[in-house]
Amino acid sequence: MRLFFAGVALVLVGAVAACVMRRRAVVDAVYGVLVVAGCLVSGAAAVVALASGSSASVTVPSAVPGGDWVFALDPLAAVFVAAVSFVGAACVAFGTPYLAHERAHRPVWFAHATFAVLIAALMLVVTAQAVVPFLIAWELMAIGSYLLIVHEDEHPDVRRSGLIYIIATHTGTLALFAMFAAWGAQASDWSFAALAAAAPGLPHGGSLILALAVLGFGFKAGFVPLHFWLPPAHSAAPTHVSALMSGVVIKMGIYGILRVVSLLGGSPPLWWGWTMLAIGVVSGVLGVLWALAQHDIKRLLAYHSVENIGIIGIGIGVGALGAAYGHPGIAVLGYAGALLHTINHALFKSLLFLGAGAVYQATGTRDMEALGGLAKRLPYTWLAFFIGATAIIGVPPLNGFVSEWLVYVGLFRSAQTPDALRLAALGVPALALIGALALACFAKVSGIVFLGNARSHHAEGVHEVSRSLLAPMFALAGACVLLGVAPGPGVVAVVEVAARITRQAPAATGEAMAVVRDSAWISAVALVLMALLAGLWVVRRAALRRRVVRAVETWACGYPLGTARMQYTASSFAAPLLSTFGRMSGVVEHRAADAFHTEPVDLVLDRSAIPAWHWVRRAALRLRPIQQGRLYVYLIYVMVALVALLAYLGLEGRQ
Amino acid sequence: MMQFAGDHPALPSALGALGVLLVGAPLVPGVAARTRALLTGRRGPPAWQLYADLAKLLRKGAVYSTTTTWAFRLAPLAVVVTTVMACLLLPVDGRSALVSFTGDVVAFAYLLGLGRFLLVLGALDTGSSFEGMGASREVTFASLVEPGLFVVLVALGIATQRLSLTGMFGAELWREWSLVAPSVILLAASLFVLMLAECSRVPVDDPATHLELTMIHEVMVLDHSGPDFALILYANALKLGVFATLVLDLLVPRAELAAWASAATLVAGLVACGAAVGVVESTMARLRLPKVPLFIAGGTALGLFGLILLLQ
Repeated sequence: MRLFFAGVALVLVGAVAACVMRRRAVVDAVYGVLVVAGCLVSGAAAVVALASGSSASVTVPSAVPGGDWVFALDPLAAVFVAAVSFVGAACVAFGTPYLAHERAHRPVWFAHATFAVLIAALMLVVTAQAVVPFLIAWELMAIGSYLLIVHEDEHPDVRRSGLIYIIATHTGTLALFAMFAAWGAQASDWSFAALAAAAPGLPHGGSLILALAVLGFGFKAGFVPLHFWLPPAHSAAPTHVSALMSGVVIKMGIYGILRVVSLLGGSPPLWWGWTMLAIGVVSGVLGVLWALAQHDIKRLLAYHSVENIGIIGIGIGVGALGAAYGHPGIAVLGYAGALLHTINHALFKSLLFLGAGAVYQATGTRDMEALGGLAKRLPYTWLAFFIGATAIIGVPPLNGFVSEWLVYVGLFRSAQTPDALRLAALGVPALALIGALALACFAKVSGIVFLGNARSHHAEGVHEVSRSLLAPMFALAGACVLLGVAPGPGVVAVVEVAARITRQAPAATGEAMAVVRDSAWISAVALVLMALLAGLWVVRRAALRRRVVRAVETWACGYPLGTARMQYTASSFAAPLLSTFGRMSGVVEHRAADAFHTEPVDLVLDRSAIPAWHWVRRAALRLRPIQQGRLYVYLIYVMVALVALLAYLGLEGRQ
Repeated sequence: MMQFAGDHPALPSALGALGVLLVGAPLVPGVAARTRALLTGRRGPPAWQLYADLAKLLRKGAVYSTTTTWAFRLAPLAVVVTTVMACLLLPVDGRSALVSFTGDVVAFAYLLGLGRFLLVLGALDTGSSFEGMGASREVTFASLVEPGLFVVLVALGIATQRLSLTGMFGAELWREWSLVAPSVILLAASLFVLMLAECSRVPVDDPATHLELTMIHEVMVLDHSGPDFALILYANALKLGVFATLVLDLLVPRAELAAWASAATLVAGLVACGAAVGVVESTMARLRLPKVPLFIAGGTALGLFGLILLLQ
């Protein structure tokens, strides 16, 4: 615990250093080293806590109403601290050189300091074990994110994205206040331990608490239809901020839900499990479908976060249902799959965002339709992005496969039970559809951005980004490979945490132990796959050495006048899939004799939330004649209200 | 649940059947083409034509487009490696696979997915509009086939209470077969339809056409040549063989047969499957592209009926 707080303190010292030194160039080095070191120290503390399975805690006496402030690094918190520190370190290492060229015309120090505070806030959110420090850290995180989203506030659309974000996040916080108020009213004080002790007395098994948790934490996590703030905020923020937000900030929603479930005893009511499963499926399918429609690379990645949150939601749903129907093994599989996918997604999504940032820095555009052929000009960025793309579509030999495998095994096991839980079988094809659409989407983004020929001058004559930007990307890519090739320790860790959520001994859950054992086969598959590919590559090279190998233009069926404009575009690549799904896919098509283009619209924000808001405003205008701006009119209102109240009191007194 | 090759119950039979599949797979498209030729009154190429083509291509040099990068060169290796690895998880002898573990069904489907992903990237790497077109259509139809495949897998998971291909398609299935026969037959029909889509056969794609705007798989691999093209042709034939084996495992009990009899049945099954594909191809026309999703949905619906029979 001391080690953990030492890390948090180092991160905050980094923030102070950024404020103090401000404009001097040396600040970058000092700030970067301090924050990265702080993250690594906290991360080490989390790994130690996970490995030993212990949970240390610290109580800070507080005079503020709400009782003492408790912080603890229990295994559930440790999983999230590990993710925050590793991804945070990579994002800081990337962001410091990334913003360096803006120093001349923008207060970069402020962005750096806010970023460090945001990382510290994230670590406190997951370790806080009482309502007051939790909500303080939560708000610090929300406001820190807001300040970073509006970093480039000279653009009107950035300010608009920030506004949408702050409305969404505070609506969520409102639900959290309601949740804690309803729960705390039953408890002796405001610590999580007291809330857990009050759990058995909650009406309907805590249904109200769980519903408010899905609403409050769901806004942060970005479940459909609460996701609408996510794409604009992620495309407006500087890239390393988007990477941190998509990698770990939205995961705080997942943390919150798991923490509430854990405090309630790991076995929520049936309706909640089915709801989570449905939310997961809907978020997964719609998230990836809407991602396919995007042409702004960062918006595309943001919609993919919605998809992955959906997969995590499916895992949580399976976990809750398994517990509710009395199958502890299935419960552990579901929660473990959700946790592992949370970590994996943090790694590969931040990697992909950093890759998108490198592309943006090299080319100056995020529009995929203007890119192409970057594989040759940015070979290392392409390699890192390729690893991230292969990881996110969940195929062997990388880490995404391991967590999707866990969720699949949970769903298959649910399908094999004799009770109503077997209806979860229908989640299997849904998850398969999500996976296949993600494959299509990452074939699109990798192929259109990096392969083929440059589609505009933006993608011509660009150069590879600096090593200081590549290093964090390869650190994340290395983690993706490592967790894919050697998933054993990770699977063991999440199974133990999941068992703790359901209050079972891990060894008592046969189905879960089977995946722990068979994760060795996953590593075997990954290693054999890579060895065979490498071997065959060598064999082919040896075979071709003595033969004629020619390098010519692409054949294109003999048509000699091909231009880069004739290539398939992001719009045309996705068009057949999107037209298969019809209106649900949310695109507007533009056809002309020589061009085809689609424009994405967010069905929730653009087609529902904003029209609904306009309707509310129009309805409110009807009330406007009440406001006359003359003093005597208001005095009449006061008079009328007073008479009405007196009449009410008088009538009530008579009864 | 977990098996090592060393303490495998029937190693000779599993290895022998795998060898038969790996060697005999190019026969399946050959038989299909031969059947099609016979039924349409042509002479057509012999059934072993693909072997001759592979031998010729493997001896040739290669042509690489200057637009391409390592992604293009990785694609042929990836499709063949992933398909062969998927075979290792498959109970080719109708009894048990060489490797089986909890949830290897997911590894099976996702290995094929990795192959497809890299093949599509290889196609986009050429910068040709033709290959972009093929890549776009390939991912579209594959996205629709995948849920159908998993419907079949989860239904068999319920029928056999197992989580590996060995359990779902091997000896375990035949202990329960008579109880679940109606749904297993529906699932086999569903798999056959999905095979036509996944392996680019009529009515989804026409492997006999070249240079037409309607083609899908062929247009994706236009720029591959020599040994690379041989690997792609082989992987495609092997994928057809894999799906044929899955259908065979669902319909013909081989668990009790001797190793040689099981291998002989496998050969007969592959030939029969090739002939069935040939019959479909000579009696049906290729569908218009917008109709293809309906065809795949129809195949998935067959599987869903099978699943519902098991869930009730």
